[in-house]
Amino acid sequence: MKDSAISANKLKKIYSSAFEKIIALKEIDIEIKKGEFVTIMGPSGAGKTTFLNLVGYLDRPTSGRLDILGGNSIELNEGRLSRIRIDKIGFVFEDFFLISSLNALENVQLPLIFAKKFKNNINPETLLKRVGLDHRLTHFPNELSGGELQRVAVARALVNNPEILLADEPTGNLDTKNAQGLFDLFRELNKEEGLTIVVATHNNRLGHSTDRIIHLKDGKIEQDERLVK
Amino acid sequence: MKFFILAYKNLKRRKSRSFLTIGGVAVAVAVLVCLLGFNAGYQGALTSDIDKMGYQVVVTAKGCPYEAATMILNGEAGLKFIDEDIYKQITSDPDIDKITPLLAQLAYDPEKMEGKGGFTNYLGIEESYMPLKPNVEIIEGKWFSGNDVNEVILGYEAAESEQKSVGDKISIPGKDIVFTIVGIFNRTGSQEDGTVFLPLKTTQRIFDTEGKLTGIGIKLKQIEKISEFEDRLYPIASIQVISMSQVKGTILNLVNSAKILIMSVAFIAIFVAIIGVINTILMSVFERTQEIGIMKAIGASRLDIFQLIWMETLIVCTLGGIFGSMIAFFGGNLVELLVRNVMPYAPGGRLLLITPELLLFSFLGVIIVGIISGLYPAFKAASMRPIEVIRSGE
Repeated sequence: MKDSAISANKLKKIYSSAFEKIIALKEIDIEIKKGEFVTIMGPSGAGKTTFLNLVGYLDRPTSGRLDILGGNSIELNEGRLSRIRIDKIGFVFEDFFLISSLNALENVQLPLIFAKKFKNNINPETLLKRVGLDHRLTHFPNELSGGELQRVAVARALVNNPEILLADEPTGNLDTKNAQGLFDLFRELNKEEGLTIVVATHNNRLGHSTDRIIHLKDGKIEQDERLVK
Repeated sequence: MKFFILAYKNLKRRKSRSFLTIGGVAVAVAVLVCLLGFNAGYQGALTSDIDKMGYQVVVTAKGCPYEAATMILNGEAGLKFIDEDIYKQITSDPDIDKITPLLAQLAYDPEKMEGKGGFTNYLGIEESYMPLKPNVEIIEGKWFSGNDVNEVILGYEAAESEQKSVGDKISIPGKDIVFTIVGIFNRTGSQEDGTVFLPLKTTQRIFDTEGKLTGIGIKLKQIEKISEFEDRLYPIASIQVISMSQVKGTILNLVNSAKILIMSVAFIAIFVAIIGVINTILMSVFERTQEIGIMKAIGASRLDIFQLIWMETLIVCTLGGIFGSMIAFFGGNLVELLVRNVMPYAPGGRLLLITPELLLFSFLGVIIVGIISGLYPAFKAASMRPIEVIRSGE
C-alpha cells in the first residue's frame, strides 16, 4: 500500500516484570494513511504511549507486524531503526525533553549532529521562526515558558523533515491557550506540508479538531471515529 | 555544531568537577614526565661526570665499595689510607698507561657558606695528575713551584666562592700556615670545581699523613685488561681496585632502586587518575541518563552516544596532558632541587632532562589512557535504551 504511513497488524506488546505480565496492547490492527492527522485517546494505561513508542521505534513489539512507511520494524536491527527514526520520524514528548545545557537553537540543531548526511533538512532558524520563536534563539530552556519549550521541541522534531510526527501528550504541561496554539500549529503543518501526525491526548476538545480519533481502552481499540469536516 | 562542542558543553556544566578531574590527570602526567626526564637526565649526567674523571681505575684502601664509590665521585677518594709504597710497587705494571697518586683530606671550615660552616675538600696531587685529566687546565697562574711548597691551586668554584685570585693568601682552618694561591683550574662541571689542590708532599706534611695516600688514579693502556690487572694486584691485602664503570654501575644500582620506588608512585598516580576519569564520566553519564535517552529518541545511534561520551573523556585527558606537561616543564627545576637533596650522589649538570620527545611521549600516553578509560562509560551510555531512560525521568 503506497499511501500507508503506519500499518499495524495484530500488534501486541507485553511488559513483563518479575511479578506480573502487563499486556499493554492486545493484538490491535490500525491503518493510518499518509497525510492523516490522528488522535489516540483513552484513559491512562489504555496503551496510547505504548503504541506511539512502538511506532517511533523507541520500543519493540512482542509480536505482530508493524510497517512504518513500508518497512517491518520487527525485522530491523537497532542501527537501522535509529536511522529510520532520524530520517523519517519526529517525536514530541509531554515533558518536552530539551537539553538544559543547550539553547533553543542548539536544541533544534541537535538531531543534525547525529544525522551526518541530510538530504533535505530544514534550516533550524527558519523552523524556530515558523513556530514563532525567532526572538528566543539564544535562550536556554530554563528561560522559556512551557508553551515556548514545547514549540522548541516541535521545531526539533521537524528539523530532519520527517514524514511522521508523533506527539505523546504534548499539551499535558501546557495551559489551554498554548495547547490550542500547538494544535493549530499541527494542523498548519499537516495541511501545508502533508505531514502525517499522530497525537496521544486526554483532551477531548483538542482531539475533535483532528481528522480521526482512535479510542483505546485496556490495550484494545474501542472505537475508530472519523470526523467529518 | 559538532560533537566536540556538545561534549565540551557537557563538561562545562560541572566546572569544578571537570577541573578537578583534569587536575588529577595533570598531576599524573607531570609525575610521569619528571620521572622519565630524571631517568634520562641522571644517567646522562652521571656518565659525563665519570668521563670527566679521566681515570678508569682507582686503587683505594679496602672498605665498603658503596661508600668508596660515593667518596671517589665527591673527590675524596675515601679517607682510609694506603701506603705510598704500593704506588711505587704498581707503577711499573706493564698495563698501566698513566698513573698518579692522590691524597684527599677534609677540613671543617666554620666560615664556609656565609657562616653556616661546611667541609672543604683538599686534594694533594703531583704533576702526573694533569695528563690523566685531559679536560683540566690552569686558566690563571701556573703550577706549583716545587714538590713541598705552601702553595695551592683552586678549583674554579672554590676560587669564585672565596673571591680569591692568583697571588692572594689563603689558610686552612686549624692549620697555622698561610698558603699562596698560584693558580686556578678551569670549570669542569664536576665535584673537583670546589676542591683546593695542594702539592702531594705538602698535604702529607700538613695533615700528618706522611707516606700515605687515599687513592691512586690509573689509566690502563687497554681497559679490557682490567681483570688481569686486578688479579695481579689481588695479593696486596690492604687495597681494592675499583673501575669507574663499576662505580657507575654501583651508583646506578642505588639509583635504580629509588627509581623503582618513584616509578611505582607514578603508576599509582596514573592509576588513580584513570579511576578518577572513569568515575567522573560515569557519574555524568548516569546523571544524564534521561538526556541520553532523549538523544537516542531523536535519532542518535549507539555509535553517536558512544562517540559523544568518548569525546568527553578525551577532552579531559587532553587538557590534563597539556596542563601536566606545562607543570613538568616549568616545575622541573623544583623537582631537580628536591631530587638533589634526596639522592645519595647527585652528579653535576641537569638531572632532569625534559625533551620535546619526552613530552610528546607522555602526551600520547595520556591520550591512549583516555581512549581506554573512556571505553567503559561510553559503552555504558550507548547501551541505554531510550524507552527505559525516558520513563526513568517521569
